Amino acid sequence: MQDSTIENKDSVKTDVIDEAVERGLERLTPERIAGVINQVLAKETGARFKTYIDTCMRCGLCADACSFFLSNDRDPKFSPAAKVKQTLTEMLEKRGNVSKDFLKNMVRIAHTECNVCKRCSMYCPFGIDIAYMMLTVRRICHKLEITPLYIQDTVNSHSATMNQMWVKEDEWIDTLQWQEEDAREEFEDLRIPLDKDGADIMYSVIAPEPKFQAGLIYQTAVIMHAAGVNWTMPSNPGWDNSNMAMFTGDFEISGRLAKAHYEAAADLHVNRIVMGECGHAFRSVYDVGNRWAGWRMPPIELVHAIDFFHELLTTGRIKVKEKYKKSVTLHDPCNVSRGRGLHDKAREVVNLLCDNFIEMTPNKEHNFCCGAGGGVINCGPPYKTTRMINNRVKKEQLEQTGAEVLIAPCHNCHSGLEDITHHYGVDMEIKFFGDIIYEVMEKTIYQGGV
Amino acid sequence: MNDKNANGRNAWDWQTEKKQIPVKEWESQFNWVEEPHVSPDGEQVASIVNSDEAEFSICVNGDVWEDTFEKAWSLKFSPDGRLAVLAANDEEWTVCIDGTEWESRFDYIWGMTFSSDGSYLGAAIQQDGEYGVVVNDEPWESLYENMNHFTLSEQGGSAAVVQVSSMSQGDIDGFAGGLFSLAVNGEPMPQTFMNIWDPAFDSQGKHLAFTIRKNRSDYSIFQVDTAWDQTFQSAWKPAFIENDTSLVAPVRTGGKWYLYKNARPFWSNVYEQLWQIAVHQEKKSIAAIVSDSYGKWTVSQDDRPWTNHADQMITDLSFSEQGDTLCALFKTNGAWTVVANDKPWDLGADKLWKPAMDATGEIVAARFEKQGRYHLAVNGRVAPGDYDMLFDPEISPDGTKILIKSITGGIYSRQVLSVDGLI
Ligand code: SF4
Ligand code: SF4
Repeated sequence: MQDSTIENKDSVKTDVIDEAVERGLERLTPERIAGVINQVLAKETGARFKTYIDTCMRCGLCADACSFFLSNDRDPKFSPAAKVKQTLTEMLEKRGNVSKDFLKNMVRIAHTECNVCKRCSMYCPFGIDIAYMMLTVRRICHKLEITPLYIQDTVNSHSATMNQMWVKEDEWIDTLQWQEEDAREEFEDLRIPLDKDGADIMYSVIAPEPKFQAGLIYQTAVIMHAAGVNWTMPSNPGWDNSNMAMFTGDFEISGRLAKAHYEAAADLHVNRIVMGECGHAFRSVYDVGNRWAGWRMPPIELVHAIDFFHELLTTGRIKVKEKYKKSVTLHDPCNVSRGRGLHDKAREVVNLLCDNFIEMTPNKEHNFCCGAGGGVINCGPPYKTTRMINNRVKKEQLEQTGAEVLIAPCHNCHSGLEDITHHYGVDMEIKFFGDIIYEVMEKTIYQGGV
Repeated sequence: MNDKNANGRNAWDWQTEKKQIPVKEWESQFNWVEEPHVSPDGEQVASIVNSDEAEFSICVNGDVWEDTFEKAWSLKFSPDGRLAVLAANDEEWTVCIDGTEWESRFDYIWGMTFSSDGSYLGAAIQQDGEYGVVVNDEPWESLYENMNHFTLSEQGGSAAVVQVSSMSQGDIDGFAGGLFSLAVNGEPMPQTFMNIWDPAFDSQGKHLAFTIRKNRSDYSIFQVDTAWDQTFQSAWKPAFIENDTSLVAPVRTGGKWYLYKNARPFWSNVYEQLWQIAVHQEKKSIAAIVSDSYGKWTVSQDDRPWTNHADQMITDLSFSEQGDTLCALFKTNGAWTVVANDKPWDLGADKLWKPAMDATGEIVAARFEKQGRYHLAVNGRVAPGDYDMLFDPEISPDGTKILIKSITGGIYSRQVLSVDGLI
């Protein structure tokens, strides 16, 4: 579907019906609304929040940074500062006495019109962190129990199973054993070592991998085996590094998940955790859930796949047989580029693997979000059309590269970019780094020392 | 250490100085040999071995079990020295102990756990898409559509969080209504909650306590047969104290962590974090891992924080048998060390395992890895020599000898050394 077929973009957005939000609103009383808002704003925020509110001078410099603003023909209500004005400022001014219609708009803005990508903060002269402000709004939504349905269901899964996709304990282990068996077709002694106490590395993934994309675990197993890495995966909960609770403002579940992840690694006595190609998961255990739990920094060294692949390729543990021939471009995931500065290493990895790299513009820490991040894609089908409208700028960015293949080293980005290419008819194959490495690597076992 | 284990230990060979088994040789006999496991008494070393496609067995001291399996994983020695593995043939899983299979068969089995004297072996099971527990070859009679947090008591009782009502996809109101109960020996408690985590048995295995979430924002503690009235912002695993008559639990309120006892504030200090309670019932002492200022971790014993702190992490808090020594593993600047009764050792370890302590707590021995080599430290002194691999050390019941189980150059060694020579 091209966006020209969407005649009234505003009504497409405001007419979205999300049953969980509707039912949640029905249950609310004015007293509860004001009570929760005032409690969160007075007790759960501090100097940082007040400084941001008091400092913003509505200069508008952040507006052009926001993909939502640009994708919506520079409609002022999509500017970052306007999102704050339409939500937090009004709640503060009215001391929490806001209507249910207001709350409905607030849910839409905070959950689906901001990716909490932090791009705008780089352009604000005061570095105001709008993402933090929108997450504060989402915290209020969580406390009022008006979080969108699909993402709430995901958080429920996290809380009950410690993974985001209701993967049952046996399904997880069985999937690893099945992938191990399949991968033995390539290396007959290949293992996915489960619960190997004292391994150097615990490898962790997000739950969609065992649920829908088990082939990615297969690829990783081949890469680990060929690289001669002393690695393991936990059979116990804690294997899923993802964390949608971080994006719904359910900080208590978010912290519980990060605790489970680090405890799984500590129980196995590993030196470090290497995590698969996911950005939000990195943010959750590097920056958010760990901090709620009381760990200022990750208590066990945490390495994103980009960093790890860089290490394997530059140390010769993985050798490239023949470089990838198709033209490729790279999407910089917000959470590991702006969030961790891995963009230069990502380019080195691309150049080690591929012959023909075309930069996307803007790029690196200035890259636009995939449009799915920050839990936006996880709000599910009701918001898909609006998500596509809100992603026009990303589609233009992709098209301008003319590349045949788009590398997106993040699961959320991958899914969001796939939606964009399908929706707008952009002819581009989307791949993880792992896909390309698996394709171009020499399938021999590293013989060097540790 | 309970009596049965203490008696068992007395019977171990504490005299022979050294026994060796060449494990590297096994590699030439099989397609591959998985990581070795060693019995507590050090007399057996075993690995899962593969001889052909879908043909696994267990090699113990060079002898191979008669049975072969299409699949095998989770090889473990029980505390009383039996060797167990989860194994499958014809897509049916069971437990095989010392080469003898259980009668029960399941579609899947995992989470193998032993009571501390080794008398009971429990595991989580799945049969026809339903979930439960098996203990010593006796599966629960009732199975459930989902199950997590399986735990086993010292007396062989089992408990797990089970889903007692179905939920259609995305039914968040149904979820909030409480789908989960705690099943004890297969029978669910009448109370259901939105979430249940961390079931903990009392020392007699008679009662349980656990953490609950009553709604999206309110957490509490369930003690024996009823939930505390108070709700909190969060809570962690509780522990029974005072001969099981009372319960303590870490709870979060006003953004800070407190230790509550029987639903009332107990410790007076307030912490940034508080978890992993260790209890010594006879000494009436309670300890926990705490953060007393943000990002700084220590141990609090009876609400008195230690002076030593870790910047990164603390794990494995435990009392010696008589309760005189309290040990934990501290990680700061990427390096692990043991801290015993607030006295840090100087190890700088990359990896460190929970120490062994004699009953009095006067002898504390820990294995660690540093720059790829394994070492043993006793009472803070690093013993001479290093190893390719070192297993958990054991201390003789009289506290005079240490059993060292190691592999170097493909040879497994069981060595008995005098403690005096090491400290
Ligand atoms: S955080 Fe990102 S999506 Fe949100 S307002 Fe800023 S630029 Fe826009
Ligand atoms: S750039 Fe900063 S100060 Fe200016 S409107 Fe945006 S948030 Fe406010």
